[in-house]
Amino acid sequence: MTRTAFTGLSTVVFHLTLPHASPNENPETLLQNAEKRLVTGERIIARLFTDLDWNLHFHAGLIVLTNLRLLHVELAQFQAWKLEEVQDLTLEEMGATAAIHLMQADSSVWHWRITVGHVREVEAFLAKLKEQRGTVTSETEAAVDEEDVFSVEEPETKTSTGQPLVRLFKFSSKWYKLMLLGFVLTVASTASGLIGPWLTMSLVDEVLIPLQTATSDVLIGRVYHFVLMLAGAAVLTWLLQWATTYVISRVAERVTSHMRRATFEHLQKLSLTYFNKKRTGDLISRIGSDTDNISLFISVNFIDFACDVMTILFTAVILFSLNPMLALAAIGPLPIVAWLVQWVRSHLRGGFAAASRAWSAMNSVLSDTIPGVRVVKAFAQEQREIDRFREQDQQIFDTNDRVNRTWSFFEPTISLLTDIGLLVIWGAGAWSVAYEHTTVGVLTGFVLYVGRFYGKLDSMSRFVASAQRAASSAHRIFDILDVKPDMPITSGMLKVGRLSGAIEFRGIKFRHGSRQIIRGIDLKIAPGEMIGLVGPSGAGKTTLVNLACRFFDVSEGAVLVDGHDLREIDVVDYRRNLGLVLQEPYLFFGTIAENIAYGKPDATRTEIIAAAKAARAHDFILKLTDAYDSMVGERGQQLSGGERQRISIARALLVNPAILILDEATSSVDTETEREIQAALDHLVKGRTTIAIAHRLGTLCKANRLVVVDNGVISEIGTHEDLMNRSGTYARLHQAMVEVNQA
Amino acid sequence: MIDLISILQQPDVRPIRLFPLTDPERWVAILDSKGQEVACIEDPATLDATQRAALDAALAKRHFVPVIRRILMITRAPDGHDWLVETDRGTTTFRIETDESIQSLGSGRIVIIDKLGTRYLVPKITDLDRDSRRKLERYY
Repeated sequence: MTRTAFTGLSTVVFHLTLPHASPNENPETLLQNAEKRLVTGERIIARLFTDLDWNLHFHAGLIVLTNLRLLHVELAQFQAWKLEEVQDLTLEEMGATAAIHLMQADSSVWHWRITVGHVREVEAFLAKLKEQRGTVTSETEAAVDEEDVFSVEEPETKTSTGQPLVRLFKFSSKWYKLMLLGFVLTVASTASGLIGPWLTMSLVDEVLIPLQTATSDVLIGRVYHFVLMLAGAAVLTWLLQWATTYVISRVAERVTSHMRRATFEHLQKLSLTYFNKKRTGDLISRIGSDTDNISLFISVNFIDFACDVMTILFTAVILFSLNPMLALAAIGPLPIVAWLVQWVRSHLRGGFAAASRAWSAMNSVLSDTIPGVRVVKAFAQEQREIDRFREQDQQIFDTNDRVNRTWSFFEPTISLLTDIGLLVIWGAGAWSVAYEHTTVGVLTGFVLYVGRFYGKLDSMSRFVASAQRAASSAHRIFDILDVKPDMPITSGMLKVGRLSGAIEFRGIKFRHGSRQIIRGIDLKIAPGEMIGLVGPSGAGKTTLVNLACRFFDVSEGAVLVDGHDLREIDVVDYRRNLGLVLQEPYLFFGTIAENIAYGKPDATRTEIIAAAKAARAHDFILKLTDAYDSMVGERGQQLSGGERQRISIARALLVNPAILILDEATSSVDTETEREIQAALDHLVKGRTTIAIAHRLGTLCKANRLVVVDNGVISEIGTHEDLMNRSGTYARLHQAMVEVNQA
Repeated sequence: MIDLISILQQPDVRPIRLFPLTDPERWVAILDSKGQEVACIEDPATLDATQRAALDAALAKRHFVPVIRRILMITRAPDGHDWLVETDRGTTTFRIETDESIQSLGSGRIVIIDKLGTRYLVPKITDLDRDSRRKLERYY
């Protein structure tokens, strides 16, 4: 619990788990305190927990907004202001913390401090206050949802948990019939594997010994009888084991396949924010190798373990029923083995963890170096990378070597103990045969069973390691599955169909973590208008575009499309109206035709060719050996930047979007390519609302309006000529751009 | 209607298949000596017989994508694999460098690009005989 408190959970949990918070300081107590102070007719509209005091020590506090007053509640303190007296609450950010000022007559009369992670809740609270003051002035009683502030969800909250292996079991409970069958088969095949020694016992006692000593008439035919039965038992075991392995592997495959799909489907639903935080390689290995670990665990290790346990139980029962005294002697070394297993396990646990850490360190060297091979070569740093790899590999070697040292000691020790166990049996058995009428057959059976018994102990000990590995893999998978999408697809259900393309940014603000990126932008874009976004890097242009695509949600204000709030519109429906041409065009592995038709998989060849022609891509495509069938993407044809750009323009053209988002490449291309791309773009923007992050002069001149963004606000708006004449920010930026290009 | 025959008789004019692997029968573009498209025929079957014959003749001169009928042998070579195959143009050998040279075009159609850039087509894996499929399976 304490650990989760620092990974950004909702307020409630945070306060419950503050390490220094005394038990009386929990939110419920504060809330009860607040409720006691309410006067008649007063009810709570919203509440906000604060986590710092004025000296920035952790201290729980509560601000309550009622329909009449604003209350400050602490364990030993209470303060109240009538709403009419409150001029405003303002939020001031101060790095890692923030202050909320209570304003009266334009000066701060009181303030609260909070850690900056809670700013979103504060903003929601302030919005409630504003709303409530509106109600007070207009004197209308609106039903206000009390829980609203509480339900302001932190993005991607993790729910959890339970033991990963238990959850894994629950996850696979869908296939319980198959699993039950697998279990029954396991029991049956284990039992049938124990028939052999039993028959051997009878064979020795009833046939072989009598035959040798010739004390009684024995039919030699009974030998064949026994051999046949032994053969039958062997065949039965073989069949049952086959069925068991197959059934269990099938369950394992089903579970992991379901898991892979569920994880990938879930990933596709998560927002860009999540992907920005994660390493690609890590996600890939989770879906790939971690599910594989689990599959291996269920199909091989788990079944082995079940068989082992069963064999041990069965043999123990058989041994005791045959001869309790001998049985006791046989399992005498068992406590030593148990202790040994425990000892080895504790040694191995650390070893395995170290090994997998070393392994992932090496992986990260690989995933760093291989994609970056051009940089490595350009700076002639091959040797350095080799050394880096060697160092990590040495780590793997060392940790594995340590693990192996333990292992190599463990296994022979187990077999030595087995041998000792057998020696005990031989000795005690011989004595028992001589003085206690134990038969030779029973002794033979004993030896066979005891051999099995100890063999299984050895393989059981292996299970521990694999269970630990599977548990950590399951944990990594559930880690992804437990992330809630911060922009639920279901939130906006309004189907918009074809949009005309009017966009309005209405007082939007956007915060990423503790950084305020958009500080309040108002902009109306008419259908078919082309807007060029200009500004220094980091000014918030890309964020603005991302908000228009609804890759993120605004923290405050709203983005409206055709008059609808973007959050009310079905995301998928909305994005069908959207065309995107990115700075770095991404081509999927596949043919050029498939890449052009990515946004509209059912496009006809006529449409694809028309789009390519309009994007000026047709001519260069014809020059490739396989024309439209040429493979592109990671393993395919090498296309130049300009060519890739034109394919991505064709892709956007084909979906015929109402709104076009253009993120122009900053790097300058040669004049010829520039002209081709420009011609392609001219086609594309015609009749569409376009928001372009503009760098090229052609785009800048063509835009209906240029919007200069600086530090999260709009600093200038106008056409190219207007802004040049004004000689403000844009004129300076433009001048710098021209100088760079001439240099 | 364009005069296909006179266009094709001009020097350096060449027909290009737009979808040589996925739809070789349709979509032919005719390029002039500078590589500019002068005509594009969506479906040659709609042409009259003489034009069609002229187009087919011009295409046949340039088109070379052997269709693999049987895979006889695949052996490991120092830098890849040597394939011995029976195609619609006779039996031949070629070398591919990596498994990535075998590419799927969807619905069981694959193309194999050898070291020298020649394309070999398998229109449908399931149409191959069992033995060939087995051999292919090990690499694709």
